[in-house]
Amino acid sequence: MLAGAVAWLTLPAVSVAPNRIVQGTPQRAAEALGWGVTLLASVPMLAVAVLAWRPTPRRLPAALALVIAVLVAIPLWLSAVAVSLEPSSRLGIGSAIWCVLFVSLLALIELRVRLALSRPFGWAVLVPVALAWWGCLAQWLAPLALYREYQGRSDQFYAAFLQHLVLVGAAVGAAILLGAGLALAMRRRAGLRRVGFGILNFLQTIPSIALFGLLLAPLAWLSARFEWLAALGVSGIGWAPAWLALLGYSLLPMVRNIFVALDEVDPAVIESARGMGMSRRQVFLQVRLPLALPVVLEGVRITTVQAIGLTAVAALIGAGGFGTFVFQGLGQAAMDLVLLGALPIIALALIADALLSALTDYLRQGGTT
Amino acid sequence: MIELFGVTKHFGEEVAVDGISLRVAKGELCVLVGTSGCGKSTTLRMINRLIEHTAGEIHLDGQPVRTFDEVTLRRRIGYVIQNTGLFPHWTVARNIGLVPRLLKWPRQRVRERVEELMALLGLPMAEFADKYPRQLSGGQAQRVGVARALAADPEILLMDEPFGALDPITREALQLELLDLQARLHKTIVFVTHDMDEALRLADRLVVMRQGRIVQQGAPVELLHAPADEFVASLLGGDTRGLKEAALTRVRDRMLPLGPRLLAHERVAVDAPLSQALSLMLWHRVDRLTVVDDEDIPIGELSLRRLVGSKT
Repeated sequence: MLAGAVAWLTLPAVSVAPNRIVQGTPQRAAEALGWGVTLLASVPMLAVAVLAWRPTPRRLPAALALVIAVLVAIPLWLSAVAVSLEPSSRLGIGSAIWCVLFVSLLALIELRVRLALSRPFGWAVLVPVALAWWGCLAQWLAPLALYREYQGRSDQFYAAFLQHLVLVGAAVGAAILLGAGLALAMRRRAGLRRVGFGILNFLQTIPSIALFGLLLAPLAWLSARFEWLAALGVSGIGWAPAWLALLGYSLLPMVRNIFVALDEVDPAVIESARGMGMSRRQVFLQVRLPLALPVVLEGVRITTVQAIGLTAVAALIGAGGFGTFVFQGLGQAAMDLVLLGALPIIALALIADALLSALTDYLRQGGTT
Repeated sequence: MIELFGVTKHFGEEVAVDGISLRVAKGELCVLVGTSGCGKSTTLRMINRLIEHTAGEIHLDGQPVRTFDEVTLRRRIGYVIQNTGLFPHWTVARNIGLVPRLLKWPRQRVRERVEELMALLGLPMAEFADKYPRQLSGGQAQRVGVARALAADPEILLMDEPFGALDPITREALQLELLDLQARLHKTIVFVTHDMDEALRLADRLVVMRQGRIVQQGAPVELLHAPADEFVASLLGGDTRGLKEAALTRVRDRMLPLGPRLLAHERVAVDAPLSQALSLMLWHRVDRLTVVDDEDIPIGELSLRRLVGSKT
């Protein structure tokens, strides 16, 4: 937190530009709203640093409250800057704010672990922060460059959101089905196991862009050859190669997890299930599968997070999704546009991760029926 | 009744069980004992066809096990293994009700049966029914394992080192409980163990195995008195066999009615094993004990001479 406070006082907090083309001029926090507010704002950060110096059970909740206060204060502070600006100017978020955000989130994670907060409670803590951002964006933060970029293309934003979700969903869904089939087949045949893992490992080592490129030619040829494929929208670029590549990358973690999960069920449990007179089918459906499910879901989680990231790269071959903004932004040297693509990708990955971890934990508790 | 006729099992080149013949009468508790890898577990698991035998015949009540459908067969036979094999994702009640549910008993009857068994094994329904196996102690978990095996009231119970992973005190408590259960239920039980004390305590018939063959079988006392060879003798405890036998004999069998002499100060229960009486004599440095009944009333006396069984 000390580092956060130092950054806050020294690094530029915002950059202000009269319009999109002109490079913004960086401003420190003190320059933007004066020293009084700046120092006042740094008090909670320093306080957290002091509290964390000798953590006691009573100090930790206080620290938690202060960190949340800092996180809530950031959008409010930005709003305060924004209202003082000319209506047409653009407000960029500067390195000081990023630093404070980063340090605060780190502190939050650390505090959650120290206080052993349950998952739902951890999320509840973030609610006021989310509310503050949402409220400020709606009310005062129109000049925020990021928001400007969003407003300029809100339709595209939702389209990208959908494309991203559908692509990830389709790839992970297919990987689950295909992966389960492969894992089951591999359990039966040792030979298939060696060959299968060999191929999947090889797929995993191909760089993603190279794989997209490799798929370009054969798919273009196929779509030219078969009309029904072309009618489906299959071509050398677009969703088809992206989906195939994502599927390829998703298969290894999926197959490996399903295979290991099914294989690692306590043999004593399987033995007694058979000894009690359960049929093969009953042993699999009532014992092996439910016991393997948490590890399988772990695989789904890893695969999903990985696929969300890879889908960003798939934008290069016209598959759409948030990656489009990132590459557009890079092309136009518009950092805020890059952020408009990157931040939702990060958020999406974090949310998917959290949801699937929660589900895994729930199943681990013995809550399966 | 279980009968084995020249049963052999090969695993590839290796002969795990080599032509054994054995007859376990209805209501008998037969213990297979031997060092690791002697084929005792394999023999047990051939009975419920978790392992198929290579040659010979295994009969249940006169019918070859091969003629049964294996799933139906296993539902008729209770099975208990060392690490309980309880399903960790099911509650205690659900674990116990497994076989009745497989047999499609009506729900109400399954519930009643589970309740009955939990009472039988000293697991209060209110406290344990909804617990998961990992919340149980080793002894409790194994009780649940036994309850599960008894659930569909099978004639036959196969137990593969069921108490092997328990601490000595819990193990002894469960051994006594098993004897108590058996006195009431009269199941035909095949019990595998490598612990000779456990085998001697539980067995009606003791079967000593070595390298896939039966070396000797008979009542525990018979084996103690006349071990077939050096191996059986050493397995039975070598020179400490006397103590093992003393553990199998009750004070009741050796005591004399109260004589004219003054009562000895130290007392021993009439149903205690001779080994306990001997231990009391050693401990208190006396050669005479007063034998008392359940209500602590003197009913006889036991001298060291009587205890060791000398003729005079």
